[in-house]
Amino acid sequence: MSVPTTLAAKGLCKTFRGQQVLKGVDFEAAPGELIVIVGRSGCGKSTLLRCLNGLEVFEQGAIRFGDFSLEHKPGQGPSDFQEQARRMRANFGMVFQSFNLFPHLDLLGNLVAAPMIVKGLSRKEAESIAIPLLEKVGLSGHARHYPIQMSGGQQQRAAIARALAMSPKVMLYDEPTSALDPWLVDEVFEVMRKLDKEGMTQIVVTHETRFTREVARKVVFMEEGRVVEVGPTAEVFANPKDPRTKQYLSRFMA
Amino acid sequence: MKRLSLPIALALLSLTARASDISIGGVSGLAPAKSAPPRVLRWGGDSASGAPYVFQDPKDPSRVIGFEVDVANLIAKAAKTKAEFVQNQWDSLVPGLKRGDYDYVINGLEITDDRKAEVDFSDPYYLTYEALTVRKNTYDIASLADLKGRKAGTLKGALAERLLAAEGGIQVIGYDTQTMLYDDLALGRIDAVLMDHPAAVYYGIDPRLKNLPGQFGRIAYGIAMRKGDALDLARINAVIAALIESGDLRKIYERWGIWNPVMASTFIDKDSKHHAEPDAYAAYLAAHGLHLGWRAKLDVYEGYLPLLAKGAVTTVELSLISMSIAIALGLLLALMRLYGAWPVQALATVYVEFIRGSPLLIQLFFIFYGLPAVGIKLEPFAAAVLGLALNYGAYEAEVYRAGIQAIPHAQMEAAFALGMTRWQALRFIIIPQALRVVLPPTTNDFIALLKDSSLVSVITMVELTRVYGQLAAMSYDYMGLGILTALMYVLIGLPFVRLSRWAEARLTVSLRRTDA
Repeated sequence: MSVPTTLAAKGLCKTFRGQQVLKGVDFEAAPGELIVIVGRSGCGKSTLLRCLNGLEVFEQGAIRFGDFSLEHKPGQGPSDFQEQARRMRANFGMVFQSFNLFPHLDLLGNLVAAPMIVKGLSRKEAESIAIPLLEKVGLSGHARHYPIQMSGGQQQRAAIARALAMSPKVMLYDEPTSALDPWLVDEVFEVMRKLDKEGMTQIVVTHETRFTREVARKVVFMEEGRVVEVGPTAEVFANPKDPRTKQYLSRFMA
Repeated sequence: MKRLSLPIALALLSLTARASDISIGGVSGLAPAKSAPPRVLRWGGDSASGAPYVFQDPKDPSRVIGFEVDVANLIAKAAKTKAEFVQNQWDSLVPGLKRGDYDYVINGLEITDDRKAEVDFSDPYYLTYEALTVRKNTYDIASLADLKGRKAGTLKGALAERLLAAEGGIQVIGYDTQTMLYDDLALGRIDAVLMDHPAAVYYGIDPRLKNLPGQFGRIAYGIAMRKGDALDLARINAVIAALIESGDLRKIYERWGIWNPVMASTFIDKDSKHHAEPDAYAAYLAAHGLHLGWRAKLDVYEGYLPLLAKGAVTTVELSLISMSIAIALGLLLALMRLYGAWPVQALATVYVEFIRGSPLLIQLFFIFYGLPAVGIKLEPFAAAVLGLALNYGAYEAEVYRAGIQAIPHAQMEAAFALGMTRWQALRFIIIPQALRVVLPPTTNDFIALLKDSSLVSVITMVELTRVYGQLAAMSYDYMGLGILTALMYVLIGLPFVRLSRWAEARLTVSLRRTDA
């Protein structure tokens, strides 16, 4: 499914209204890795995720993914950056905390919209991609349902399928289960496990430690706009080197 | 935007179609050739201004009659052509002439020096004087001097208005139609009416009123035409002279009961024998002397319905086309304000504030009478559509801006994350959702436009309200006709209200916020 390409970010800096949210972040994701980014609220982990696919305009640093690169060149206008970001973004799928399905389209409509609009596929071609994906996320019977008619877990699985319909090489998840009732969390993680087995590169911002320990190959711990610790999950969990990591983990393990 | 392009195309299509075969209100779309005499004698007048000049035949309201209709036909016959009547508001007759909507004005237009600066006048075809009318029980008014400190009414822009102003100390009130003018006198809202004698002959007969014997001033009606065509002027003067000589003009005035001593002395026609019976005057009196029962009144209304329906069709056409353009323009302006670079935003903001902040009436006058000064001459229908569309576009812009802003930004981000451009996201994700939000206010605006379309009667469009005005001026029935016309507006609006509710209900099924 995914061509072996490494996603690498270097020295990302991002300021929101005079407040520096990212203070020079380096980040790397090898093909097929599932990486979880953890840290306190406001540590910049969501911002990092959004910078990775260019949804946020960052002031300094660069992102490379295969032949694509995204960086602020001097004298470049914001629309140039956004166009550059848009082209690179074709390789990324993004899943939001609040699902953000299109409420005016039914489930199938949500899945075929981008392939038809962005890639110019016919409805038939787009549906031939979408229908197997619905099956994959366990929503075959819901093709004609509108988002409002589905549970949160179903909506989030649909959102994953919608992202997959664009055949991304990397999937980004921004707290995908935070808005879900506890008993709906697993059905979403189940889909992500499945994708992991298929070799999809996945980067997840989440507070769910059980999922992190069971599935994540690598953990990135962030604090105040910086990456303070990176390492194999088991290692970081068993033996955190940074005191702040230790403090965070102790709270979440309890 | 794909779904919008069809109505726009249709609207533009019908606009251009209307521009090429304008026949609204009898306006011929062809501008007259500069030198050659026009094929038909197109003359302007206001059928709402009243009897006996130009007014609707009480027996057949689709026909205009009056002594000036007879004069126009007589002149046309003598010139071996046909007369064609063009409706325009009385106080806009000269601007309409200059625009070229018609080539002559024959509608009680007094020959005055300041009008002569604007247009050429033929020799007089009718001479008269101003006459005072008061309520039957008024005994202390006999001259203009007695009006000091009181309210006197006359037609807007008429010579009598200046005569009253020159007297000083009189509160002068200008009216649009003679019916309203004399009605207000009878109702006691004004104390006297100073009008040209023929008007007094026809309206002073109200049993509540009386005409006073005094003659004030001297008035000469001339045929007005655009300046500079000396040849045509000479031709018209020759025709008038011949018609005076033959006694044909006198016959018309006698039929209408308005032949008077001033004319007798000026036309050197002191023949004491009359040449024609006042049959037209008699017919007028007969039509208005009747007090109808409600049954007969219903029959009369039934006779008005075809005319009102015709006006209603114009109103609907006008409103639908204007609204389609206003919707497209509003959307464009909203997008400019929300997503444009700052000069684009500023441009849209200035447009919205300027158009929204100034009266539609002035905008209509500007488009219809102002733009020809810079070489842009629009047909009445096109000018009306343009005025309404430009005006309502500004209102729609604000509605759509609010509608688009009501859609959570997360929707835009989700579209971006899937690789859509801003335009694609707007077109396929944001605008379809905003549609439901803006449907009720847009319907609201459409109903408002439907009613505001009555304003275009000031630029010669004969739509529902104009028809009402003409019929009411003819029949003196502002109440019954008013209810009937108001009812027609409501009936026109209702289907659109229902349609909007239905569409709203349909859209709501799938369109509830799923995200906070």
